[in-house]
Amino acid sequence: MTSPAITSTRASWRDHAGSWLPVLATLALLGVGLSSSGYIVTVLGFAAIYGVFSTGLNFFMGYTGQASFGQNAFAALGGYGSAILTAGHGMEPVLALLIATTVSVAIAFAVGYPTLRLRGHYLAMATFALGLITYEITIEWTSLTQGYMGYSGIPPIGLFGYELVTEKQMLVVLVAFALLGVWISNRLRRSRFGRALAAIAGSEPAAAALGVNVAGYKLVAFVIAAAYGSVAGSLFAHFVGFISPEVFGTSMVVLSFTMLYLGGIGTTWGPLVGAVIVSLLPEALRGLKELQDVAYCVILVAILIFAPRGLAGFAPAIKQFFNRGAAAKAE
Amino acid sequence: MADITQLLQSLITGVGVGLIYGLVGIGFCVIYNASGIVNFAQGVFVMLGGMICHALLTRLGLPLVLAAVLAVPIVAGIGMLIETLVVRPMWNRGATMFAIILATLATQIMIERITILTLGDQPRSFPEFTPGGPLKLGDIAVGYQLFWILGCGALMVGLLWLFFTRTRTGRALRACSQNREAAALLGIPVGRMLLVSFALSAALGAVAGILVTPTQVTAFNIGTPFGVNGFIAAIIGGFGSAAGALAGGVLLGVLQAAAIVLFGAGFKNVAALSTLLVVLLLFPSGIFAGFKGFKRA
Repeated sequence: MTSPAITSTRASWRDHAGSWLPVLATLALLGVGLSSSGYIVTVLGFAAIYGVFSTGLNFFMGYTGQASFGQNAFAALGGYGSAILTAGHGMEPVLALLIATTVSVAIAFAVGYPTLRLRGHYLAMATFALGLITYEITIEWTSLTQGYMGYSGIPPIGLFGYELVTEKQMLVVLVAFALLGVWISNRLRRSRFGRALAAIAGSEPAAAALGVNVAGYKLVAFVIAAAYGSVAGSLFAHFVGFISPEVFGTSMVVLSFTMLYLGGIGTTWGPLVGAVIVSLLPEALRGLKELQDVAYCVILVAILIFAPRGLAGFAPAIKQFFNRGAAAKAE
Repeated sequence: MADITQLLQSLITGVGVGLIYGLVGIGFCVIYNASGIVNFAQGVFVMLGGMICHALLTRLGLPLVLAAVLAVPIVAGIGMLIETLVVRPMWNRGATMFAIILATLATQIMIERITILTLGDQPRSFPEFTPGGPLKLGDIAVGYQLFWILGCGALMVGLLWLFFTRTRTGRALRACSQNREAAALLGIPVGRMLLVSFALSAALGAVAGILVTPTQVTAFNIGTPFGVNGFIAAIIGGFGSAAGALAGGVLLGVLQAAAIVLFGAGFKNVAALSTLLVVLLLFPSGIFAGFKGFKRA
């Protein structure tokens, strides 16, 4: 079989379809959200927040091929940081978000430096422990976090005294954050930095032999993931107005992994696509009610077994379909 | 201020809990040795052991001995189910280690949710195996259950030793842990060994759960702390030897008990998890592994 020679300029938009189609789809979803009822707006807001979180996780797990089962720790840091600074101390939400993210980045550096020397199941367990430690602290340090009761009265996000009061206004900001996150992810992936990460994912000794500072790049990928996680946590706190330890518990780990694996781990858009689909799932699973968490786990395990590359695994088939259409047109 | 009696008292409690951690740790090692897989759902077997035993006691009105004896094979069956439905398909498709770990973690949450739906979310307990007590040694009280834990722990380790040295299946499992490909070439069904290891490991966890429930409570969510502590025990023991895991468990239990006396109970889990990180970072091949290497040299 021969592939059609592409010489005309018209073919180039098809080549770039992969990069602008998802943007259009996201904006279309935003449009749907803005023209529908409150519930859909909430669901799409969560999708955008989890999209940010999963896109960050993808840096470390997808691009670099490592594993962190404790990224919820940084979402908790971001969420509680924003909550305490704004609701507790009356700080500007944007300033609080920046401070919380800075703190998370600093902690990620300090914690990641020794932890990332570990490999395999030791790395998995150590990162898992980070998440559990944070969870325990949010419960036990009641004077700071209000423990099980959770932190309420968190103001919506805003700037210079202007607050985004309606959920739809917030949705626009959340979608902007998600798109910005994916854009950064896309740019970095195609950079020298992204290629270094890919080299590490392929083979650490080979990457080291090529002069890649393996430990350094791993740490930076981990810190980027932590920054994304922290921002997602802050956005969650402002969007819902209430956080509790359970929000950032172990089920958040499983949920975000489901999104990552469903959309396609290691792809640019996969995490966001997965986040949107998984967030819409409760609608489909509404009849199951209490079995919802069980259903999530079953879906995740099924994906891991039968389609470890997620929806992205179907991309070649779709591309072929498009190409065949183009070839038919050319004839 | 903690006086010496209080400290000794808590150390004795620590030994009991530590033996339980050791049993869970051995469970980790059994599966890891057979397959190289770390089963993050290990703590769930402890939870299921206690919960199912309690359900048999209260719902079917069985005597404690019968309930305990029945609960172990039930949990072993659940372990085999996990192997067949989750781990085996991934193993056969050559899934990455992280994906398998993630799948076992998801399985843990799945089982916890199902436990809430079927057996309830309230903490439960059942009476000690021998009523009466505690035994008074001066000012220190020793509950009778501790002797059960000691006795059953010793019995389990003895049985395991016999199993691994005297039976064909046990020897085959050890062959797998040394070299899976060579074992397969010798005609050992390596795949079936994975099933055996899950059953064995689940049974160990169930025994641990049944033994520990009278001294505290069991609930759907006790799996994670026991799993993590068992993992720490296994790491301290060098992730491979049963005796090492048991010793690691006792060490961990005593350390935690001392920490509770000195710093209060609130941050117990934080202390345990921090121990995990310290052990991982400073002794990545276990504390006792160092001694073993020394002896060989």
